[in-house]
Amino acid sequence: MAKKSSEAFEKLEGLGRSMVSEVMKGDSPEFETPIRSKGNIDYDENFGYLRLGDKKETRTFVNVGQARKFMQTVAVAAKCKKFLEEDSHTSIRGLFYQLKFSLGEDVEEELFTEQSESNPLIEDLEVALTLKREDLNLNTDRKGVVAGKMKIIDKFGGEETKIDCSKQGRSGWAIPSDVDNGMEFEDVDADYVLVVEKDALWQRLNEDKFWRKENCILITPKGQASRGCRRLIKKLAQKKLPVIVFTDCDAWGWYIYWAIKTGSMNLAYLADDIATPQAKFVGVTMRDIQDYDFLGKLTINAKEIDIKRAQEMLDYPWIARHKEWVDELKTVLKTKKKIEQDALQGPRLSFVGEYLREKIKAKKFLP
Amino acid sequence: MGGDREAKGIFMASADSIFKEFREHSVAEFFRKNRQMLGFAGKTRSLTTIVHEYVTNSLDACEEGGILPEIDVKISLVNGDHCIVRVQDNGPGIPPKMVGKALGMMLAGTKFHRYMQQRGQQGIGAAGCTMFSQITTGKPVHVKTGTGNGKVYECDLTVDVKTNKPVQQNERNSDGEFRGIVVEGEFAEVKYDKGEYGVMEYLKRTALANPHAQISFEGPDGEKQLFPRAVNSVPPKAVEVLPHPLGITTNELVEMAHHSEERKITSFLQQNFARVSPARIDELRSAMPNFDIDKPPRELKWGEAEEMVKAFGQMKWIAPSTDALRPIGKEQIEKALVNILNPQYMSVGERRPKVFRGGVPFMVEAAIAYGGGSGRRTADGSVAGDVIRYANRAPLLFDAGGCAINEATKSIEWGRYDMRDFDSLPMTVFVNFVSVHVPYTGAGKQAISNEEEILDEIKRAVMECCRDVQLHLRGKAREGERDAKKKAIMRYVEQLARDLAELSGKGKAEDLQKKLIALVEGKYKKHIEEASLEEISGEAAAAKHAAENENGNGEE
Repeated sequence: MAKKSSEAFEKLEGLGRSMVSEVMKGDSPEFETPIRSKGNIDYDENFGYLRLGDKKETRTFVNVGQARKFMQTVAVAAKCKKFLEEDSHTSIRGLFYQLKFSLGEDVEEELFTEQSESNPLIEDLEVALTLKREDLNLNTDRKGVVAGKMKIIDKFGGEETKIDCSKQGRSGWAIPSDVDNGMEFEDVDADYVLVVEKDALWQRLNEDKFWRKENCILITPKGQASRGCRRLIKKLAQKKLPVIVFTDCDAWGWYIYWAIKTGSMNLAYLADDIATPQAKFVGVTMRDIQDYDFLGKLTINAKEIDIKRAQEMLDYPWIARHKEWVDELKTVLKTKKKIEQDALQGPRLSFVGEYLREKIKAKKFLP
Repeated sequence: MGGDREAKGIFMASADSIFKEFREHSVAEFFRKNRQMLGFAGKTRSLTTIVHEYVTNSLDACEEGGILPEIDVKISLVNGDHCIVRVQDNGPGIPPKMVGKALGMMLAGTKFHRYMQQRGQQGIGAAGCTMFSQITTGKPVHVKTGTGNGKVYECDLTVDVKTNKPVQQNERNSDGEFRGIVVEGEFAEVKYDKGEYGVMEYLKRTALANPHAQISFEGPDGEKQLFPRAVNSVPPKAVEVLPHPLGITTNELVEMAHHSEERKITSFLQQNFARVSPARIDELRSAMPNFDIDKPPRELKWGEAEEMVKAFGQMKWIAPSTDALRPIGKEQIEKALVNILNPQYMSVGERRPKVFRGGVPFMVEAAIAYGGGSGRRTADGSVAGDVIRYANRAPLLFDAGGCAINEATKSIEWGRYDMRDFDSLPMTVFVNFVSVHVPYTGAGKQAISNEEEILDEIKRAVMECCRDVQLHLRGKAREGERDAKKKAIMRYVEQLARDLAELSGKGKAEDLQKKLIALVEGKYKKHIEEASLEEISGEAAAAKHAAENENGNGEE
């Protein structure tokens, strides 16, 4: 059993023990958890990302409105403890099926009926115990690929596997859901991390040996970054590697950047683990049209959802405080145009690399 | 009131003295033409009216005689749709020479000219039934009576419509210990109905307001019903009082004057009205300078009487006595409700007498019965909220639309008392209007006039009961809610105990389960006491406060 796992194990058991001692004293057992709703999420200037506030809610078993949820929370915790004991992993859906059973022969009620009931309780446990679900042996979907000079030791299923991310050929190394437990980053030899929104562009840059030539770690989250992917970026940033993000020139792509940088509403409770406030944005920007004439001819119409998202982003204070970003967003709203990363292959396929090299060298970043 | 002549208490030991005050009126012809006005309108109503007249007479007679009433009513069908109605009581009976006048002469009863609180008031009743039998089947009414002196008298009775004189035929005298009266008549243009206007409902309501009576009934379909006695004491006797000048109408004044033997109007007024002193006569004299107040009362003209009533209204009077009011009483109503409706909960109000028209004393008794046999059973078998109306214990079944009791209950905002759907609740609102002079809206005596003071007082009396029932209902609702909550939590105890044992890695699931059950039981009980004590005392205080405010406003 890995170290982190036993920490999670201790925390779960500690929760159980304090509840049992309440029951033995004749008090109603209680469960306290920070509130994860919008009203308790704020942008923290000091940290530079979205964090949970101090508001907490207490669930008590003898309250009829909370009794079922309380019982369910304990059931989820007990089940996770079992996974840790057995060193077995499952998805949150797998957990749901483990807990979907009738409460008794003569009771027409199930412990859980819908997965939508168990999902938020997992998040409650994560935040109440300051753990990630990955620490509870709950996997999330893997998404994202990495290539670069980085060696990892993966202790899994009683075996140790050495992974060299510079020797993964055309496909790269698939980022697992948990990059903490049973994972050791043995050797990271790179100057920076480049995050590329689209898999197609990652493949382009991989084929061009961009990461080898530039000595960087090349990551694609394949769209919005998964928890594991964000966690990996954060871990690399903690190793003092600058993080540079490259996305489409539209609100959707830019929001992928902002989620990596400041975290998101949904995962604000994990921000300390997954937000990378020092990340910088390299492009594509609307201003690029001034420097690269051909891009002006390769714009396409923005979708309605891009326009809507751009408007929302203008309302986020942590974005609106950057004049550069306000200009970019306003240009989108005005022109109703967008530029895809793929457009940089317009002049020639390898132009993407040239564009990045030039901009990174000149430090033409947006904050 | 001591020293006043107004309260001539009448304590009758024998039947003879009851009937010595007969007066005669020739109104038989009038009845024939106006039978609808007298309650003989509609077939169901006619039958209920017949039973009502006989039963009311029996109850009044028993009360005066100090007897606990036992009344048997039987209805059978003959000749297709003719009904034979037979009513027997154990009252004081009627002396043979008075039978004709009592049952065969309109407005000849003992009640018309006496100002006291009784069920019937106009003496048109039993004679009206005799007349009704006569004009619908051509048959006489058979009467059997004994006063308990070893002699029994029987006869067939009709009315001479032209002269309003009773005709007694087939008279028979025999020996026997029978005391009371049996009246049996055959009627057509009537219908036996089991609904809310029928005889059964009428008798049930009568029993509710007369818990000292035992009433049995047998219907034409053989159905039998006994309403047993709930109280073993005869209600206190009604007391005769003189009318107060403020409560008199022109019509009544003229009637009284024309029947007076006094030589002068001045003495007529002083002899027949309460609170009329020589000083008031002098005041009246100066108020009506062109009126000869010393002429015989027989010569009083309508216009003059009208003017006199107006003058009464301008003068200052000593308030009338309320001694003559005879309510059923809170305890008696409670016993009656339990006896007949067996409700889950009931509230019976007690209120002080009030006056209407500036001078007529009255009192409202209200009660609400909830659950059990309360409410009305509708044709489709469901239950509906019911309002049952009484005037001096006599049920009012008809003409509900124009009645003050209905108006008053309709104006209540039931929602305020958590009874918004009054129409589908198992509850009975009971209202008895008590007065020496009930202001009926017609000779059918089925609706009380919508006068403001009366409406207001009825509404207050009923609302008082509403508040009480509301508290009870809320308590019940809370209890049920708590029970449901407890059950809901208990369902989770077993699973939680198992998971807690597993999660903590210590303790046995069984022990934890016991602890959790005790916890839920304990918290739950504590919850009730705290909540209910707080809420109920809070609400009761609020309700009391509201009631006090209302009373404060109302009585000034």
